[in-house]
Amino acid sequence: MTQPPAVVVRDLHVRFGDVEAVSGVDLTADSGRATALLGRNGAGKSTTMKVLAGVVPPTSGVVTVAGRDAATDALGVKRVVGYCPDVGGLVPRATPWEHLQLSARLRRMDAWEERGRDLLERFELGDVAHRVVGGFSHGMSRRLSVVLAALHEPSVLLLDEPFDGVDPLGVEATLEVVADARARGACVLLSTHLRDLALEACGDAVVLRGGNRVAAMEAADLTGEAYRALLD
Amino acid sequence: MRSSTEAPRDGWADAARDTAHLVGFRARTVRRPGAAAFGAIVGLGLTVVFALAPAAFDTAALDQPALTRAVDTLRDNLGGAFIGVLLLAVSSSMSSGGGRELLSRSEAAIHPVSPVTEHLGALLLAPLNLAWLVQMWALLAVTALVTPPDRLLGAQVVVLAWVLAATALGQALGWAAEGVRRTPHGVVTVRVVSGAIVVALAGLHLAGALGPLVRALPTTWIAETAQTSSWPLVVVVLLGIFAAAVALGARPAAWALGLPPREELRVQSGVHEARHAPEPRWGSPERALLRRLDRGSVWRSVGMRRGLIVLGIGPGLVALVAGLQWSSVMLLPGLTASGAALLFGVNAWCLDGKGMVWRETLPVGAHDVFDVRALVVLECMAAVSATTVVMALLRNGPPPLVVGVSVAACWLVVLVQVLAIVMSWSVRSPYSADLSSPRATPAPHAAMAGYAGKLSLVTTLTGMVFTTVSTGPWAWLPAVLALPFLAWSTVRLLRARRRWLAPDERARVVLTVAAV
Repeated sequence: MTQPPAVVVRDLHVRFGDVEAVSGVDLTADSGRATALLGRNGAGKSTTMKVLAGVVPPTSGVVTVAGRDAATDALGVKRVVGYCPDVGGLVPRATPWEHLQLSARLRRMDAWEERGRDLLERFELGDVAHRVVGGFSHGMSRRLSVVLAALHEPSVLLLDEPFDGVDPLGVEATLEVVADARARGACVLLSTHLRDLALEACGDAVVLRGGNRVAAMEAADLTGEAYRALLD
Repeated sequence: MRSSTEAPRDGWADAARDTAHLVGFRARTVRRPGAAAFGAIVGLGLTVVFALAPAAFDTAALDQPALTRAVDTLRDNLGGAFIGVLLLAVSSSMSSGGGRELLSRSEAAIHPVSPVTEHLGALLLAPLNLAWLVQMWALLAVTALVTPPDRLLGAQVVVLAWVLAATALGQALGWAAEGVRRTPHGVVTVRVVSGAIVVALAGLHLAGALGPLVRALPTTWIAETAQTSSWPLVVVVLLGIFAAAVALGARPAAWALGLPPREELRVQSGVHEARHAPEPRWGSPERALLRRLDRGSVWRSVGMRRGLIVLGIGPGLVALVAGLQWSSVMLLPGLTASGAALLFGVNAWCLDGKGMVWRETLPVGAHDVFDVRALVVLECMAAVSATTVVMALLRNGPPPLVVGVSVAACWLVVLVQVLAIVMSWSVRSPYSADLSSPRATPAPHAAMAGYAGKLSLVTTLTGMVFTTVSTGPWAWLPAVLALPFLAWSTVRLLRARRRWLAPDERARVVLTVAAV
């Protein structure tokens, strides 16, 4: 029997006042696969991610994440999702360990410390685990955001610009997190401007433009020329 | 035309021009210009009322010895009140790291803003401060009360000139203290010196020497001469001091701003060892964790920590040293609670900064998040106002029953009142604010001025109601009177909570605060 898609988005509209940030996006993403979300600035990628993370309610349309309706069960969505926001995403005067502790306890995780420590070491944040994040560089903050998204082994992993300002070792660690998530059957959605890294991490690609989906294909088919043509 | 890569401009004319550009930029970004203009008119109107209205109050005609004695005491201590304005200006600029900033540090980083411009900006923003406004209005009101009507205009011009001079002097000293703080061991030095000054003042007071010393200061001459025909001379002297302090203040400003902010850097690189998850006796562990995170966000901020300490100890010391009557003490909890709320409570979600988006992805009920944040705001307000009340209690001893009930009822009412107001503002008008610098404010300056004015007005009026009730014979009356106040504030708080619980509204707040 075919498993239903982990993420289903149908005719999603998100409106902020007079601005329509997302206008009619359709999207499906399967468990055990990684899907790249590509598009220019303002294409609606980050807003779509926020809706999938339960942060922004959809104005209209259908959004289900691991079988939960994002419009009516945002709390349920938050339990099954791991989300790395595109900007910041960290409480400035708390330490990485305090972030991990809060995230783990609110998700009723027992014995999370070892995994937390392991992830911090993999992202080379072990020696700053007890420093407040306000003094972190941009790249360090991005790496910690990925750690926080991955800590509870979510069934849907949402990574919004996880490579932005991150050094090569951090990029490698992020690619490992994506591969691990796919291996254990999680659905990964990864939004980025970096086509090459998207192709390396993901098997599928969806291109958004002006708040709409303009293409969905296997990532390998998204050549440089094809991508550029879809953006214009 | 001068090239943009020419030597940096830091002359006074250029600095004044740059300050005007920055003020213009901030003015253009005011969300509700109509409300800002209305607020400015109300502020000016209140200043005129405080400067003139008390003069119409003929205490001699009332023929009440207690009232006459009180007015005589105010007249004798007017010089001390002038000193109070100066002390406030110093402590205010010291606690805010030299003074408020026209452009936040991250926004200003890409612009060539000179230290002289920063200094002028901080001077311009000094009046947008609840304590500064209240002190100025109080000084104007007392001067109007004790000055003969035919000398009133001159005396009030002197008061305004003194407020200008004291603000500029306070600013210069504030920059100097910030400069010392930024040197090696500077934080300890400032703390030791400040503590020594407080201990010395307390010692002088206990020895009975503080009053005579204050009366021997030149401010007594200023206060007395202000009520004579020689007042223009005083104004000229004070304006001279003002000009000199503004000019001299640029030096410590340049010195301080040229040094790394050690205390902030220490906090930003501070190590906080892991602690076990809290296991509270009451309430859920989730709420306890959220509470710990929120408390950490308050107490690990240099500006908020300093502000809370100053607000707790400052008015308390005034109550302790000056021996304020309970009728005056009754006004202080509202003002100190308002001051605490102005540190972050008026935009309570800004504690999380850009981390607000991550916070919102946590699987915890929105009602828990609201309740915990409201509790932390309330804790801060209760802590600083309790310090004031306890210090007044130490000085005055236990009050009569009716006064005691009035103080307790008034305290409770203003706490809930301010909490309800600021949580409503936090949900209705959130702002993105980075509170890592002690010079930062949780909302734009125009909004902060409006918040300060409204909170001081509401809490002062409430305090006056309970002061009036405390003069009556019925101890039950203040408690009963508190009920409608508490009921209305609770309704308002619940309304803000309901608004927060609506997903659309919450998303708007989250995205605005995180600036995404």
